[in-house]
Amino acid sequence: MNKVHITIDGIALAVDEGKTLMQAAEEADIYIPHLCHHPLLPDIGACRLCIVEIDGKDGVHTSCTTKAENGMVIRSKTEKLNKMRRLNMELMLSNHIEDCTTCPKYSNCELQSLYQYLGVTVGRLKPTLHSVPVNTENPLFVRDLNRCVSCGRCVRVCKDVRGVGALDYEKTESGRVQVDVKKHDLLKDADCRFCGACVEVCPTGALQDKEGVFRKDLKRDLSMVPCQAECPANIDVPRYVRYIKEEKYQDAVAVIREKAPFPHSLGHICMAFCEKGCRRGGVNEALSIRELKRFASSQDEGLWREKSLQKQDTGKRIAIVGAGPAGLTSAFYLRKAGHDVTVFEKLPTPGGMLAYGIPEYRLPREVVAREVGEIERIGVKIKTNVTVNSVNELKAQGFDAVLFAIGTGMGVRLPIDGAEAENVYTNIDFLQKAALGTPLPIGDKVVVLGGGNVAFDCALTALNLGAKEVSLACLESREKMTASKDEIEEGEQRGVQIFNSRTFLAVTTEENKATGVKCQIVDSFSFDENKRLQLQIQPDSEHIVAADTVIFAAGQRPEIQEGFDMPLGRGNTIMTVDGVRVNAEHVYAVGDATYGTHSVIKAIAEARKAAHLIDIDLGGDGNIEEKLAEASNPSPFIGVSKGFADMERIYDCSESQNACQESSRCLQCDLRLQIEKPRLWASYAVK
Amino acid sequence: MRELETDVVVIGGGASGLAAAISAAEGGAKVIVLEKANTTGGCANMAMGLLGVETKPQKELLVDITREKAFAKFMDYTHWRADAKLVKKYIDLSASTIDWLMDMGVEIAVPSKYFPGSEATWHIIKPQTGKIGLRAAATMIKFMTERAQELGVEIKLETPVKELIKDNGEIIGVVASDKDGEMEIYSGAVIVATGGFGDSPEFINKYTPYTWGEDLYSYRIPGLTGDGIQMAWDAGAQKDFMDMELVFFAPNTGGYAPIELPFRQPNLFVNLGGKRFYDESVVENPVFSVNAIARQKDRVAFSIIDQKMLDRYNEEGLDLVNVVTSSMDMSYFMKEMEEAQKNGSDVFFEAESLEELAEKSGIDAEGLAQTIKEYNAMCEKGMDTDFNKQAKYLVPFTGGKYYALKFMPSAYGSLGGIKINDMTQVLDTQAKVIPGLYACGTDANSICNPDYVFILPGNTLGFAVNSGRMAGKNAVTFIKEGMEA
Repeated sequence: MNKVHITIDGIALAVDEGKTLMQAAEEADIYIPHLCHHPLLPDIGACRLCIVEIDGKDGVHTSCTTKAENGMVIRSKTEKLNKMRRLNMELMLSNHIEDCTTCPKYSNCELQSLYQYLGVTVGRLKPTLHSVPVNTENPLFVRDLNRCVSCGRCVRVCKDVRGVGALDYEKTESGRVQVDVKKHDLLKDADCRFCGACVEVCPTGALQDKEGVFRKDLKRDLSMVPCQAECPANIDVPRYVRYIKEEKYQDAVAVIREKAPFPHSLGHICMAFCEKGCRRGGVNEALSIRELKRFASSQDEGLWREKSLQKQDTGKRIAIVGAGPAGLTSAFYLRKAGHDVTVFEKLPTPGGMLAYGIPEYRLPREVVAREVGEIERIGVKIKTNVTVNSVNELKAQGFDAVLFAIGTGMGVRLPIDGAEAENVYTNIDFLQKAALGTPLPIGDKVVVLGGGNVAFDCALTALNLGAKEVSLACLESREKMTASKDEIEEGEQRGVQIFNSRTFLAVTTEENKATGVKCQIVDSFSFDENKRLQLQIQPDSEHIVAADTVIFAAGQRPEIQEGFDMPLGRGNTIMTVDGVRVNAEHVYAVGDATYGTHSVIKAIAEARKAAHLIDIDLGGDGNIEEKLAEASNPSPFIGVSKGFADMERIYDCSESQNACQESSRCLQCDLRLQIEKPRLWASYAVK
Repeated sequence: MRELETDVVVIGGGASGLAAAISAAEGGAKVIVLEKANTTGGCANMAMGLLGVETKPQKELLVDITREKAFAKFMDYTHWRADAKLVKKYIDLSASTIDWLMDMGVEIAVPSKYFPGSEATWHIIKPQTGKIGLRAAATMIKFMTERAQELGVEIKLETPVKELIKDNGEIIGVVASDKDGEMEIYSGAVIVATGGFGDSPEFINKYTPYTWGEDLYSYRIPGLTGDGIQMAWDAGAQKDFMDMELVFFAPNTGGYAPIELPFRQPNLFVNLGGKRFYDESVVENPVFSVNAIARQKDRVAFSIIDQKMLDRYNEEGLDLVNVVTSSMDMSYFMKEMEEAQKNGSDVFFEAESLEELAEKSGIDAEGLAQTIKEYNAMCEKGMDTDFNKQAKYLVPFTGGKYYALKFMPSAYGSLGGIKINDMTQVLDTQAKVIPGLYACGTDANSICNPDYVFILPGNTLGFAVNSGRMAGKNAVTFIKEGMEA
């Protein structure tokens, strides 16, 4: 490429032919004030702050639209220019609200940094625009015209970078030209894709994200992609959803597998925290992310195995107690790190809650078995039907490290009269026996006490086992039940009667057999500072729900053998130093056993952290990250999609056509991270 | 984790942090400033000026305030609740600080009073356009930022600090994070200058008598979360007097919005019961006024005028004009009133009768009617038997249209939190110095106790820059002494 030679403020520069003066200055780290210029956008020379003087040419020239020519001698910081710039700033500020202190952009505002640089305060000019109401009628975005300086960056990014063109300069009734949604429409009617690029490039507080859309407690790269941020394992959701849209299913599943070795199981039963964060939920409904994951995983041909990490054998031996999602995930990554891993499981089949807690109608056993098979394939040894009683017995077998991933395997009976009667069961016992094919005997009228997913699993399993009437009673009101919406709906469809806001006084019995549950109605409940339950009971509300089988589904706790010799905390959970290390050398704990019953995805995420730390403790570098799919560089040009905002959520994504269509509803929040942040004056070498 | 080393770490790149960084660098120290935002300046970008006593600009204008008088006024006003040694050093340093800023290129437009009865200690910064007003001090921040960088200070933007590193009772560095992740920065001294807790409803609810959004609608400069105060406390620092820098505004209108112009005048103020509660000519003093307002039910007050008063203001101008709003005239108000009429408002009310006004605003109708009757009678006599308001402000209500504006407590930000001594060293709960830890600016501004010292205006920015300067210098002395020992 030919070079042209110019000088800016006495600094000689050799610049590629065709570059603008602004580009030349930027490359040389020389600051020329600017506002409408943005490195990603076509330049329009509108703000007239980047004006420079060129020797031998009359007048001033906007450096963002003037090409460098050989021999040009440019001055960017004369008093004449600064005077003109100040006047231009004052023109912009005359209709800009004077008070910055109420603006969320304060301290991160390009306009603010410019009035700092140029020394401009409130304008000498009279405003012509007065306190226009802030527009919040569109989803996700706030538009505050009082802070708009009409630089047009949002218009350009929407049109030129995204290919959408939802924004434009429009004339108001009073003849004023201002940036607005095309034809003064709502964003959705202008086919906005809600990507957020306009907010990203806005130099002031004129366009903002609505409060609460993004979390503030996380690093920007994560917080800007809420689905990924909400996922305990931080699975790169937009990336695999995009692969599904492009029908690259093997890449999609590989992306999921970069963070979780149970993608297909998760596709069935994940609590899908991602969907709660999904920004699309602000437009109409969240994306069916879990269903998309299930679809992609159902297409898995195992091509990712070629790229999978496998370090050299280290000779270190690790014992893991418990073959649930946490234990198996840690086993998987520790094996990849080169260690010799043996998992001990007391039940006949590996999988833990995946195999024995979650009923088969929700999660087919062959799905779990296949995913466990992948873990065994790389050399993890799983010994079933083995009960471990102490740490020492494992250390005696020559293991260098022991990890307890024993979950919460013990149901909890409330301390009320009759709780120990013959036909009163706990959730885990009941579900496990049913899964083993040796169900506990039940009668016609079953009452389940609890309001979570496990309670519904018990209720539906009881129905499957032949119960005629199944009811469910819980402390929570309907809105506060912890069970997922679809579980509650399914329960109701199958005739499970739900009694909300109940507290249980006793299991009524005859000859040590339960005949019902004595309840009271609770108006409200709360927890005091010691986390003790405080109830407001409705007077005279005592009544009995008749039953011949009662199942406690009011939580689980870890089953700790005496020989484990571990510090225990609230709810019998194992106390750790940093979520993983127990205070004895090379003894660790992970998963539900350390924090109480949570979710499969959290267990997986925590198990990855445990693998990382244990590897470090055993002398490794702790790196368990894998790139199983090609890095992608998605196109910023997303184009127009007619009626995009109104596209309805598709719940059933089992067919590729549905999956593709659902994945095209994604707002692609991650594209916003491609947009470079403009530099402010203080960061330049020459200013 | 990355590890860096430097002489002095300054947490926060606002006025106090920059002052600390510059003065430490002038003392020969290698300095790193860690700023969360992507611009320097923090609150000072909205500020107008800072306190100075016996300065050159004052002498040129024959302003006769002396250090002795200023100190006495300060201590009288605070009833010696403030650390007298710290106040003395601050006032004594302030004139040389103005010189110091002017040497960097900062120009002072005028040393100004804030309202009659206050001293002309408020050195308002002259912006390049020459037009003084809100944001004027942003110009000062530019000069300070440039000066710091000239001296080799490294300003790391978008780099929040997570915690202080304490070793053997001494502060030896900080843990910070930027886009590449966490880092440990080890240093000989750490200066906390994070600007207080104005953006933390939790802090406000916990440490002041107010609940943000209920009885306080204060400015919330993003990022002022009290994190620096918390870090210091976590490292063992003692708490000091904490409050808000109180003023009063019509809630959610910004501050000193044009809609307030004819209402921030010495006419009639009533509470929700419709009763007068103070001499309305005190309205010029926002600190005294907010104290009076905060005593009323729900901490609410209404300023009431009628059509004739509004017309007079339109024709003859306002009774009282203050420095902040001096660039606005009644035409600004008329525009905002039109907008309020068009879009509705929950603070501005107009009515054809007193009953209607009471109904719309929530003021007790009987109480209001009674008050207007009594007030008019006093106006007729020319004597305010309630509060001795000057006769010239006793203008009777003559009917026609009535207007009311609702006022409630607001604040520019917070005041205080970290206990320091007169050497800006942070003290622990046993009043012992925590070696290596300094605090300055609003985080440590517990000298305005119980109220912001409005009689000597420019105190927030003044204390920020001066205490910052002291902290930078003290930190360097500490490091040098450590090296010699």
